[in-house]
Amino acid sequence: MGPGHDELDDEIRGHMAISIQQRIARGEDPEAARLAALREFGNVTLTREGMRSVWRPRWVDRADALGHDLRIALRSLLRAKGLAFTVAVTLALGIGANAAIFSVVRQVLLRPLVNRDEDRLIYIRQRAPGLRSENTTFSMPEIEDLRARATTVSAFGDFSTIDFTLVGFGEPRVVKAGVVGGSYFDVMGLRPALGRLLGPRDDGPKAEAAAVLTYRFWNTQLDRNPSVVGKKIRLGSRVVTVVGVLEPCVPYPADTEIIANIATSPHHLGATMVTRRTHRMTELFGRLAPGATVEAARAELTAAHQAMVKQHPEAYSADADVQLAVSLLRDEITAPARTVLLLLLAAAGVVFVIACSNVANLILARSVRRESELAVRAALGAGAGALRRTLLAESLVLCGTGAVLGVLLARPMVTLVGRFAARFSVRGLEVAVDPSLLWVGAALAMAAAVALAYVPRLPSPHAPNGLGLAAGGLRITAGTNRRLRAFAITQIALSFVLLAAAGVILSSLASLHAARTGYDLRQVLAIDVPLPLESFGPKAIAFYEEAMRRIEKLPGVERVAAGNFVPWRDAGTFGAGFQFTGDGYTPANGEENPHGRLRNVTPGFFAALGVPILAGRDFTAQDRAGGERVVIISQSVAERLYPGGEALNHRVWWTDPYFGTPTPLRVVGVVADVDDEHVVPGPAMTLYHPFEQVPLAGRLFVHASADPYALVAPVTRIIRDLSADQPVERAATLADVRALVLAPERLNAFVFSGFAGIALLIAVVGVAGVLAFSVSARTREFGVRLAIGSAPRRVLATVVQEGAAIAAIGIAAGAAAVYAIGVAASSYVTALQLPGALPALGAAAILLTAAVVASLMPAARASRVDVIQALRSE
Amino acid sequence: MVMSKNPDDRRLELLQGTLDMLILRTLQWGPQHGHGIGQAIRTQSDDLLKVETGSLYPALHRLVKRGWLKAEWGISEANQKAKYYRLTATGKAQLLREQDRWSQLVHAIGRIMNPAPAGNE
Repeated sequence: MGPGHDELDDEIRGHMAISIQQRIARGEDPEAARLAALREFGNVTLTREGMRSVWRPRWVDRADALGHDLRIALRSLLRAKGLAFTVAVTLALGIGANAAIFSVVRQVLLRPLVNRDEDRLIYIRQRAPGLRSENTTFSMPEIEDLRARATTVSAFGDFSTIDFTLVGFGEPRVVKAGVVGGSYFDVMGLRPALGRLLGPRDDGPKAEAAAVLTYRFWNTQLDRNPSVVGKKIRLGSRVVTVVGVLEPCVPYPADTEIIANIATSPHHLGATMVTRRTHRMTELFGRLAPGATVEAARAELTAAHQAMVKQHPEAYSADADVQLAVSLLRDEITAPARTVLLLLLAAAGVVFVIACSNVANLILARSVRRESELAVRAALGAGAGALRRTLLAESLVLCGTGAVLGVLLARPMVTLVGRFAARFSVRGLEVAVDPSLLWVGAALAMAAAVALAYVPRLPSPHAPNGLGLAAGGLRITAGTNRRLRAFAITQIALSFVLLAAAGVILSSLASLHAARTGYDLRQVLAIDVPLPLESFGPKAIAFYEEAMRRIEKLPGVERVAAGNFVPWRDAGTFGAGFQFTGDGYTPANGEENPHGRLRNVTPGFFAALGVPILAGRDFTAQDRAGGERVVIISQSVAERLYPGGEALNHRVWWTDPYFGTPTPLRVVGVVADVDDEHVVPGPAMTLYHPFEQVPLAGRLFVHASADPYALVAPVTRIIRDLSADQPVERAATLADVRALVLAPERLNAFVFSGFAGIALLIAVVGVAGVLAFSVSARTREFGVRLAIGSAPRRVLATVVQEGAAIAAIGIAAGAAAVYAIGVAASSYVTALQLPGALPALGAAAILLTAAVVASLMPAARASRVDVIQALRSE
Repeated sequence: MVMSKNPDDRRLELLQGTLDMLILRTLQWGPQHGHGIGQAIRTQSDDLLKVETGSLYPALHRLVKRGWLKAEWGISEANQKAKYYRLTATGKAQLLREQDRWSQLVHAIGRIMNPAPAGNE
């Protein structure tokens, strides 16, 4: 670039030397010549600086000037503390919310998984839309079929979950364990944190029983004890060697604590598991072959699946409409959170726009007040650029402060939103505060600062009114007023959108809470008392009956029963149900046998849970193993099989191949429908077996007369007395179980209401600000009106009307926006619903009230204008 | 920009924007160092114009940056190391342009200040 520091000095020195020499040549005394030359030259530093500045890039000068402007801006804002504070806090809310949510979106939706080459890792799902089941999983024969036909997938990994009683790490307890084939970890591309993972040599029934601990289990339960590798533990009936610890990774499909090989699980070695096509409990992963795409794999696997379905019609009911879905594992994991997070991001974006337009209002109002200052500067020759720079400096200071506050605010919010996201996708668990917060915050602040600097109109150097304003008067032009109003209307409109959205979520939550479930929710305590699969039989029956006999004697216990299914909490464990039929029932043309849920209950179950018996009787002690096979059906089943008739004493039986040879069951009772799978109750076709005839249970239900939770300790004691190793877990009333299942919805409602609340708050500040400004600008007008006899009440009404008008226009615009968004989005998101009349009207009412309240203060000020002062003010 | 604060009241203020033209013109006769350029302007204007070094040197660097001048080190007549400025081809063209504009300006201002008697041009 330009000459260096030394070179400039050399040039100056040369000039000086020539000058001195010439003077000496003219006969001056050397010392006098030197002084004269110095004097003649003038300020050396200034000259050198002048030369150097020629070579400096122009932006350096501009940045320098901006720095100067920033200092001035800081000082002038310190004089307007109220405004600066409001603006900074408003921006902080907008920036903080956006930074936090963007950070979570980035981490949950965009960040790659830790798995090796995760963009080649696919998840294969079998779904049955006809049964409303999104994931029926696979059976081993199905997996073998797909494996044999696939060329686009180089390797498959299989994973199934099963409960084991774990003995060896502290108290005995039931753990959720994964059971995997030898290729699983290689396909998933995961590494061990300690020891080794399971490989081909651990595959097959003859391998030694081995297991890997998940990182979380090792970290939280075992204190990262490195000596766990090589330790022998008991899983169910087998002794298993722990061979390693898995690196931290997304726990998908199930959050298991331990992952074992097939030799560990007698169930996986049994004939049912290996040969039965309908025994579906296995998840399937695949690694794309080199060169293959997800689309190619999807096409090939779908074709293979269709061929397989055609080959085994007995295993795939036509009504179920079984299909195959193939997606990248990452998409599969994040899909449930995607819509919610993007909606949240949109809501945060709207809050940001509201915040910006509010700040724009405040700044516009301020800039009108200082128009005289700008006009004077323009008149003195400041260019448009310099004036913009002054404004930019102020908005930079404001936005910078807002960004700092916002990022501070965002830090705790990230954790909060991460926990929220974890309700929808396990990836939310990994969310942490990261530097992206900083740069998102900074980028938003910059965007806001630049936008805000262009909001105020610059005084035109040609307009003569500039100096007139400098005299100290305040008059707002129609244009400014229009802009102020436009910003206020924008805020109201966007707030309406958010309020309406929150209204939709709240009203659907309210209807969920109000839904009648058919259960006695508050008084029934559900406790998991799982018996390991291998100890079912007469011993299990005896165990539960003895436990129930003793629990019934506890004070405060009204009834006790056992079953195999805690409503909602166990939803999905038994898949989409099984097909059944009854004597004298023929499906209508083109219809198949209905699907029903299978539940096992002890006598007294319906009474304990408060489910009314509509016809016939409850089970009794006589309905035992070896006796006549009986069944109780739900009302929907009775109406489906025997519409308008008497269902009692008919015989029904499962036709699903899962059950082998059908056994007719005599109907002894009909009970009311209870939907224990869905929190939004629907018709429920359920067949109840007596526990003694199908001795699979594991859940105790205690109906308490007083506080149900007071019974947890004595019940646990009774069960431990019977069997010291028996786990007793997850005691909760049905009301709390349901609340827990509804928690994501509640959290959703909370978050969106929060956003709507912030938006409302900002909008109210905005409306109040606009009106306050408009009142102060019209002081003279009000003064005149009061002076000529207008009642103060009339003046007050004028201002309130102005506020109401802004709100009304804003609400209309917001309603139009909601409708437009709804129409535009409905082609992408099918689940989206337009708000009903109630949420929309509610939102409108809230906004209108808020606007009127916000306009009361400025209105009161207008009606109290001091006439004399007002008339003298100009 | 260029304001002479010399108490000598005979001295004239340099008109804004004319310094560049004067420098270019001075260098028309060959390369010269900064001191020489300043002196030339002074002597050729019969001591009426004096350029401050604080204006002269930044102006020289500006002209170099625009490509109208080229600077190189040399040895002065008094055996001093000095930077010499030389007119480039584009600099010569610029000089012609500025000279042209200047004479137009002088002509225009002259017509306003000394209106010619009617009939005469």
